[in-house]
Amino acid sequence: MALRIGLGEIASHKFRSFLSMLGVVLGVSSLIATMALTRGIEEGMRTFMQQMGGLELVSVVPNEPGGLMFEFANLSPGRTLRDAVALKGAAGLVSHASPELEHPAVVSRGDGGGGERRRARGVFPDHFVIGMHGLEAGRFLTDLDVDRGTRCVVLGSSVASQLFPGTPVADVVGRTVRIGDSPFTVVGVLKLQEREEQARARKAGRKVPTYRWDPFRQKNESVLIPFSTMFHEFRSGDRSENATPALPGAPAKAEGAPNSMESIRLDTLTVRIGDLRHFRAALLQIRAVLDLTHRGVDDYDLETREDWFDRVESSVRAARLSGGLISAISLIVGGIGIMNIMLASISERVREIGIRLAVGARPRDIFRQILVESMLISFIGGMIGIVASLGLIEVLKLISPTENVPVLTLDGILFSVAFAVFAGLVSGIHPALKASRLDPITALRYE
Amino acid sequence: MSLIQLRGATKVYRVGEQEIRALDGVDLDIAEGDFVSIIGPSGSGKSTLMHLIGCLDTPSGGSMVVGGQDLSRATADDLSRMRSREIGFVFQSFNLLPRLDVVGNVELPLIYANVPAKERRRRAEEAAKSVGLGDRLANRPSQLSGGQCQRVAIARALVNNPRILLGDEPTGNLDSATGETVLGLLGELNRAGKTVVLVTHDPGIAARSRRVIELRDGKIVGEGRP
Ligand SMILES: Nc1ncnc2c1ncn2[C@@H]1O[C@H](COP(=O)(O)OP(=O)(O)O)[C@@H](O)[C@H]1O
Ligand SMILES: [Mg+2]
Repeated sequence: MALRIGLGEIASHKFRSFLSMLGVVLGVSSLIATMALTRGIEEGMRTFMQQMGGLELVSVVPNEPGGLMFEFANLSPGRTLRDAVALKGAAGLVSHASPELEHPAVVSRGDGGGGERRRARGVFPDHFVIGMHGLEAGRFLTDLDVDRGTRCVVLGSSVASQLFPGTPVADVVGRTVRIGDSPFTVVGVLKLQEREEQARARKAGRKVPTYRWDPFRQKNESVLIPFSTMFHEFRSGDRSENATPALPGAPAKAEGAPNSMESIRLDTLTVRIGDLRHFRAALLQIRAVLDLTHRGVDDYDLETREDWFDRVESSVRAARLSGGLISAISLIVGGIGIMNIMLASISERVREIGIRLAVGARPRDIFRQILVESMLISFIGGMIGIVASLGLIEVLKLISPTENVPVLTLDGILFSVAFAVFAGLVSGIHPALKASRLDPITALRYE
Repeated sequence: MSLIQLRGATKVYRVGEQEIRALDGVDLDIAEGDFVSIIGPSGSGKSTLMHLIGCLDTPSGGSMVVGGQDLSRATADDLSRMRSREIGFVFQSFNLLPRLDVVGNVELPLIYANVPAKERRRRAEEAAKSVGLGDRLANRPSQLSGGQCQRVAIARALVNNPRILLGDEPTGNLDSATGETVLGLLGELNRAGKTVVLVTHDPGIAARSRRVIELRDGKIVGEGRP
């Protein structure tokens, strides 16, 4: 009933009602738009992070050992192939481990043409999974390649197209490239890795956007050879940096002695955790294994994407909070607008309230009526706000970067309208109380 | 016990330093089915008395019982319930809601008595017809004459079937001919069993009631039977 009276009241004062709704309309539409915008950013981040490589990856990075440990730093062999083998063998939660050696060199065609400075990397087959690669043509490196130290190379997409422009990738397989002076046979070409918008643009034949910071570039510029080949061909001449006391049972090495494949210090070591649900446990396992192989020296650190994701998430949260705050403020302003208009309408309607009281309305009936009216105004304002937000979001779509297209969600809409109605409720309380406390006779006499 | 009973009822208004005794120790009994006129000069407390009987206000002192309800101990909700169930009030200035049509105005008391919508409409139409407004159901007050407006107000006062009908100078804003029809209507209702209390300046009208009570300075100074 109060609903019908309220609707009648709003309908008979269309302009006044509209004015009081305006604040709510603005508040709701900006709230919905902000939520869509931050949601868009979040979504953009998430797909980007998915493409970048999941949470499953953990990088083992070198670290200055702290405190007392500094004295014993020399005891540790550092990050070596043994770490990778031990992790894969002993840490059950680790599914893949990719130890890598790097070697900067000019990479050219067999005939010496097209040479460009690249960073060749010696890897194990696990690198394929950890780098989240796909194959465009040919095959990836195998255990056999590593065992035998074959002169095989797998090229990243942009390296292949730079060295052999216009050649179909299938025909690139089998060709010879030179890393420095050594000839290698191309056995595979990796899939081009790019952001979704880049792929979309490529498919649509539009100009492919480029980014200042392109995390896929390194992957597309891969020059991958077997780990063993890398060691024997390019790195066996390295001198170890310090005397490494041998592990029990292993032959001792003098300072400056040549490295073995097992003892050479890795450039990168990345592992993948099989099941994300056991992420924490996996980190503990990794630490336990590495503490053994490093003889208790904490000269390493574990870097997870999680830290990075956390940072991204917290910045998204901050964006959402500030956007939400601004919209909430405009909703509060809208609420104050409603309150003002309700108060004005009440002094206009003192006589009506007196009449209603005289024919038997209880104070609480009056209270409820004013409250319902105020909530109705904000609800209708919220509805108009939804429509307005649709337009606003279209505008935002035009001006926002493609990767962060605003995403309209039902949650956002419901939340905004609920918030608006709540604002109407709160701002209606004071006028409603005032109205319900009117004395019938005074109200009836009121002119 | 009589339907309406006042014992030493007072009503004191305080305006700044000044105390106005609008009612000053009124003893009054009105039996069910009676037809009472209240007369007296302007400012003698007639409206104040009607407001007390009509449960729109409570006395400052003395005791007062209407329809079994002790008003000196009533809460705001008690008063609302009394106004909704026991009392129909007709004002000099009609007091209709301008935005509602005849049916809408007449059904107002039923809304607050929680009568369902259909039933409400039926009873409102019936009450409007009983005061001769059957052909004006969809009109708004601004489209009605003064006499018709007052008949809407009477229909509204009747619709909840109260025992007590109160009129504070109900014909004061009407010409004598329309006033006559309104009074005729009230007389009929009294004959049908309603207790009617009227405030009037017109001795001719007072003469038609069964009891006439005269107020002066908030006190009953005379009572007669015409
Ligand atoms: N709300 C009020 N505040 C102060 N004085 C009032 C109020 N209502 C009535 N009075 C005073 O009480 C007295 C009686 O008023 P009222 O009952 O309206 O007289 P009547 O209806 O007989 O003309 C008057 O002196 C009037 O000024
Ligand atoms: Mg009066």
